[in-house]
Amino acid sequence: MLKPSLEDLIRSSFRSVLKNKSRTILTSLGVIIGVTSVILLTSIGNGLKTYVNQQFEALGSNTIFVSPGRIFNEQGGFDRSGAGGYISTSFTQKNINDLKRQLKTNLVIPMTTVSSEVKSISNKKNVSIVGTTYLYGPNNNAEPSAGNGRWFTKEEEDKNSKVAVLGYDIANELFPNGNALGKKIIVKSKNLKVIGVNDKKGSSFGGPSVDEFIYLPIGIAFDIIGNENIQEIIIKAPDKSQIDNFKERTTDVLLKRFDKDSFSVFDSAQLLNSINAIIGTLTIALTGIAAISLVVGGIGIMNIMLVTVSERTREIGLRKAIGAYPRAILLQFLFEAVILSGVGGFIGILLGALGTIAINNFFPAKITLGSITLAFGVSFLVGIIFGVAPARKASKLSPIEALRYE
Amino acid sequence: MTQSLSKKSKSTKPVLELKNIVKTYTSGNTTFNALDGVSVCINQGEFVSITGPSGSGTSTLMHIVGLLDNPTSGQVLLEGQDISHFNEEELAKTRNITLGFVFQQFNLLAKTSATENVSLPLLYSNVPKSERLPKSIEMLKKVGLGDKLKNTPAQLSGGQQQRVAIARALINDPKIIMADEPTGNLDSKSGKEIMNIFHQLHRENRTIILVTHDMELAKQAQRIIIIKDGKITSNPC
Repeated sequence: MLKPSLEDLIRSSFRSVLKNKSRTILTSLGVIIGVTSVILLTSIGNGLKTYVNQQFEALGSNTIFVSPGRIFNEQGGFDRSGAGGYISTSFTQKNINDLKRQLKTNLVIPMTTVSSEVKSISNKKNVSIVGTTYLYGPNNNAEPSAGNGRWFTKEEEDKNSKVAVLGYDIANELFPNGNALGKKIIVKSKNLKVIGVNDKKGSSFGGPSVDEFIYLPIGIAFDIIGNENIQEIIIKAPDKSQIDNFKERTTDVLLKRFDKDSFSVFDSAQLLNSINAIIGTLTIALTGIAAISLVVGGIGIMNIMLVTVSERTREIGLRKAIGAYPRAILLQFLFEAVILSGVGGFIGILLGALGTIAINNFFPAKITLGSITLAFGVSFLVGIIFGVAPARKASKLSPIEALRYE
Repeated sequence: MTQSLSKKSKSTKPVLELKNIVKTYTSGNTTFNALDGVSVCINQGEFVSITGPSGSGTSTLMHIVGLLDNPTSGQVLLEGQDISHFNEEELAKTRNITLGFVFQQFNLLAKTSATENVSLPLLYSNVPKSERLPKSIEMLKKVGLGDKLKNTPAQLSGGQQQRVAIARALINDPKIIMADEPTGNLDSKSGKEIMNIFHQLHRENRTIILVTHDMELAKQAQRIIIIKDGKITSNPC
């Protein structure tokens, strides 16, 4: 029944749009910019997520963290009072021993961190000093690779040997001429010998980079800090299936000493979920802002389509005189709007993909089929929404008025 | 000879009949009857001209005859069928199949080849795609433009453009061809050529309605319908 056929209508619309190529491109520009930014932002969001997941996988999925304060709220997000807030709780060696006994594992690793000035012969710098045990390095992918020295041993830890393992970046900063191994660094008037330099790990978003850390046996760190407070405990479960069980038992042990809001027991999956939730929200928010430009692009299309309808009043009149019924005119102009936005969407996706490849060189970014489909769908929708009004106007023109129009 | 032809066509059934047509325009408090009880009949195969001073209602009459406008009251019978209450879609279909329009301004699509312009009405009828191009070429050959198939309006003279428009009017093999000042924008030589085409079409037994203010042109038809102040003053049937 539909005359002309959909195919004829679309071809006819394409011809009209192609008659004015520069206008077509300029009109589509708004949609092009909108789609490009939507694609870029979702790509960056996705890239970040993938990157974070990889980092956590490297950390080991069977790791349990014990931190002071309440970190997670009931919804699984970060608690307002916890992270970054005022933390009064700290753990002691006794807690570590209790946990080792109850969990029947040796892999209960205490950590204490302090910020302090570090000097080498040539340089000095403020860095984070991490006191931990001989078990930390081998169990957290933090061991220097062959040729870059080693992690400290149980003997060195027990004897409070004055040794240090440097992060990759801090090693380069303190010893710009290379080879830090065997050299001396001074922390709070203590001379420490560099026995290892860790591999480069890269930054972890905003937080301090592990490449800037200096690792010491925990006893030395206690001496430097002046107390024996343990700020974090890392527990390794034998495998993934034991994580929940270990978390419960850890919580039970600590509840005997602390009240429930003054510490948090969580695993990397939990942390990962929370970070992913934050990245997800951020991506949606930024994409939403980018989507505003899509709306602006749609208004641009509507504007041009209204101009086009005025310009082509005679053509519309003629088409009606020779037998075009109103719906044929409506569909032709609607398709023209959709073609404009569709072309914009297509170019935007291409630019977005190219931009993603470019960004990926210095920031994790990853394009997904989902974002492409969404961007394309939205740009078509924009064409339909903003094309309807001008198309209706065209279809309602009286053929006589239209033919008389000068 | 004109007389006898006219008589002969009178005996045939009218292809188009207007009965007591009134068209009223209202602007503010004043109403104005552009057509005031017009009755006209046009027979199959007739070459009729409609003429009159400007503002007398010729254009309004043409719009109603061309199914581009609805009368305020009265009946329009096309091949005996009352089309007064056709909806827009039915009117469009009738215009597409039964009528062919030729305008003073040619009204060709710019930047579009002659064949595409000619095949435009086929877009809105049931003709399959494969038949459209051969049909357009045939029509263009008929009006003597077999060598200008790919030319766009800008590459054609006024007379040639009007011939493309005639080919377009003919493509659906319409019963009636309506021409509104078809030579108004042409030099006298091209105008003559166009009129010759209309005479040729008339010889092929097509009904031709020529609307013009030019009496010399109107005289070329078999019958001249004169309209004055919204009323027919001569030869209504």
